[in-house]
Amino acid sequence: MALLRSVWSLFQPAPNRGVLLAAIVLAAIISVAILYALHRTLGPRGRRWLIALVTFLAGLFFGLEFFWPVKGDPAKNFLTDWIEPVSTMIAIIGAFTVGLGIYSLCQVHGRNVAQRRPGWHNSLTFFAAMLAMLVFGLWEHYLHLPQPLPEVVPWPKGIYEILFNGLFAPLQAATFSLLAFYIASAAYRAFRIRTAEAGLMMAAAFIVMLGQVPFGAWLTSSIPVDAGWAFFRLEVLGEWVMRWLNMPAQRGIVFGVAIGALAMSLRIWLSLERGTFFTEQS
Amino acid sequence: MDRSPEGSFWHRIQRIPRHYIYLLLAGVVAWQLLFPIRLPVVPSSATKGVYDAIAAVPDDKLVVISTDWDASTEAETAPQTQAIMHACFQHRKRFAIMNLQPPMGVKLANDLAEEAAREYGAEYGVDWCNWGYKYGYENVLMALGKNVPKAVGDDFYGKPVTELPMMEGVADIKDVGLVVIVTGLSAMTEMWIGLIQGPYGTPLATAYTAVMAPIYYPYLDSGQMKGMLVGAKGAAELEVLVDRPGKASDIMNVQSWAHVLIIALIIVGNLGYLLARGRRGERAS
Amino acid sequence: MGSLEHANWFMRIAFFAMSAIIVGSVILAQRGRAMFIRRIPGLTAIEDAVGRATEMGRPILFSPGLDGINIVTLQALAILTYIIKLAAAQATRVIVAIRSPTVYPVAEESTREAYDAAGRPELYRPEDVRFISDEQFAYGLGTVGVMAREHVATNFLFGGFYAESLILTENGRALGAVQVAGCPDPTQIPFFIATCDYVVIGDEYYAASAYLTREPTLTGSLVGQDIVKAILIALAAVGIGLTTALGPGHFLTVWLGGGG
Repeated sequence: MALLRSVWSLFQPAPNRGVLLAAIVLAAIISVAILYALHRTLGPRGRRWLIALVTFLAGLFFGLEFFWPVKGDPAKNFLTDWIEPVSTMIAIIGAFTVGLGIYSLCQVHGRNVAQRRPGWHNSLTFFAAMLAMLVFGLWEHYLHLPQPLPEVVPWPKGIYEILFNGLFAPLQAATFSLLAFYIASAAYRAFRIRTAEAGLMMAAAFIVMLGQVPFGAWLTSSIPVDAGWAFFRLEVLGEWVMRWLNMPAQRGIVFGVAIGALAMSLRIWLSLERGTFFTEQS
Repeated sequence: MDRSPEGSFWHRIQRIPRHYIYLLLAGVVAWQLLFPIRLPVVPSSATKGVYDAIAAVPDDKLVVISTDWDASTEAETAPQTQAIMHACFQHRKRFAIMNLQPPMGVKLANDLAEEAAREYGAEYGVDWCNWGYKYGYENVLMALGKNVPKAVGDDFYGKPVTELPMMEGVADIKDVGLVVIVTGLSAMTEMWIGLIQGPYGTPLATAYTAVMAPIYYPYLDSGQMKGMLVGAKGAAELEVLVDRPGKASDIMNVQSWAHVLIIALIIVGNLGYLLARGRRGERAS
Repeated sequence: MGSLEHANWFMRIAFFAMSAIIVGSVILAQRGRAMFIRRIPGLTAIEDAVGRATEMGRPILFSPGLDGINIVTLQALAILTYIIKLAAAQATRVIVAIRSPTVYPVAEESTREAYDAAGRPELYRPEDVRFISDEQFAYGLGTVGVMAREHVATNFLFGGFYAESLILTENGRALGAVQVAGCPDPTQIPFFIATCDYVVIGDEYYAASAYLTREPTLTGSLVGQDIVKAILIALAAVGIGLTTALGPGHFLTVWLGGGG
């Protein structure tokens, strides 16, 4: 009984006590080792069941926490206190995969450089850029600590400023601004009144485009703001299109998408979708 | 059978090479930046909603401005943030900046706040503060609902927020009178509505890039959002309400004529299409 | 209005009823009940687009969007699996451009499994599943770079896309690629429509795997979804009627609205 109590105490949300933390880490390692061993030793059928079981248990947590009746103020059930540690755990697992991404990048570009493939110097730039940002970014971070270490020399701050404010930020802004050019040419090319519906769409588009800018407001500025027909001022008409025509359509789409997401979640949670991620459906 | 010459004028104006279109647009933008034709801006009800929500914040509560944007959307989101800060300072509402993603936003917003604070003689830690970039999306918001100082920890400069005078008496989300999200990222709204506005009833106002805004009108209509700034237009409208014509008003001049150019191009393309089709019809008959 | 941190009774009933309908419909389909799905042009076009790449002897590019591992991305990977099986049968290369590090290992695994399932494991090249960058625009431009350098014939864009969508598709179009896109987010649909040859809109996106594979599990789920949608529309109509007749303060209206 004492043993059971001490085991149970491991699973209570508690401040980060050293021993408890070590025990949790140990338990996690053992669980992973057991799962790995099972995965290697079980046959295809057993493996499928194992994956289905783990998927089900993992998916159960958030659903159960949301639907289980709550008591008290703030309203809680027996799982509520676990939301934070479980979310943190998910974030940490996600963070590990960043390493995989960087490994993939280094693999592709490393091969380009090693085999002197066409454009290999671009790959070299990639390594230089990644290294520079990593080194000077970390350096900058250490300078920003409330008590910076005296041995950290401050001169790389200037380099970081050049890399971040001088290169990264303007490159990002410039890329986003490319969209203006793309949308102008795409709108010109794609917008043709081939049907009556396309005509309606174009009318709505013109109203919204003009309603969004002062030029549109200026075009219909002769209509007094408090007149009965002020509705026909372009900025009012534009907002009306957005609020009364666009909004119900958006709601409809969100409705359908949400149900689709629910169905997809159920299929994955209950491992119904075998054909795609697991083995072929018989 | 279509025997109309593909090289005819009406066909050619349907296929203006994209490089010319790019050049035309760049020309219009440069023209309006150098020699702007200023037109009046009329505030919409969605923008007035944001302004009124800031004015209505009780004096003992904070405004939280979540600046979830970076350099890519700066042209729209920076003027929005700036106008919101002006509205806060003018109504003497204390505000805290915070940021969930991308981390760049918190530095850019800090620069804007410092600039605006100088204008009003406002003091850091008393009239405004910066909670900094907080990693963990939902986790941060869940924690924020229950205990603000614990969730925030240190401010942008690494100082515990509990040491800031304006944070005295701020315990949980009930001490926040309004959250304003300024963002170019789509998942932020759902997170704030799901974890803060819904559970605790904290008033919420938003500012989006123009392309994102259409999908958020349902929340405005349902009252879950008090107001919404739509792109640079929303920022320019708020600039009018706070009587500080700034960057957004300049951007609106540019945008006005860029929209006119795009509309003109669409009309030209369609004229070509309809007239070329008409000729084909004539020939066929 | 009551707290939404946890479900109220109405939500519990609604959730379990909706889940029961969808799962029930899946079970019925698995037991052999024939179910009808209408034609979705964007998805029918996938086969032709793969065929075009084969004819031209050039690779295909697939982008699963910007999102991390979520429902949208998992659906994109299901479509990727289908495309790889088609392409592998014709020995056409598929390059997968990844933005999210969390998606990378899953995409790699799905790709390898798809080549195995198609009976062509030797065609799998690890460097064809590429992590481009987790920075939105670096990803956009990096992927365009791949399109240009590899001379792709066909671009498939399925997943969560944002402002980079137009950068990808306008450049893809300028490079002469056939483009098929699908995204559940309505903000990017207009850009895709202006620049792509075929677009899958809204919840058609979630119908994709069912439509493509015609597996009973998936078609059953799709039909279940439609039944749920019909019920929700009816409920919305009832809600409108009740609010109009009884007023927004009536206990029934409040309860149906998620309060209480």
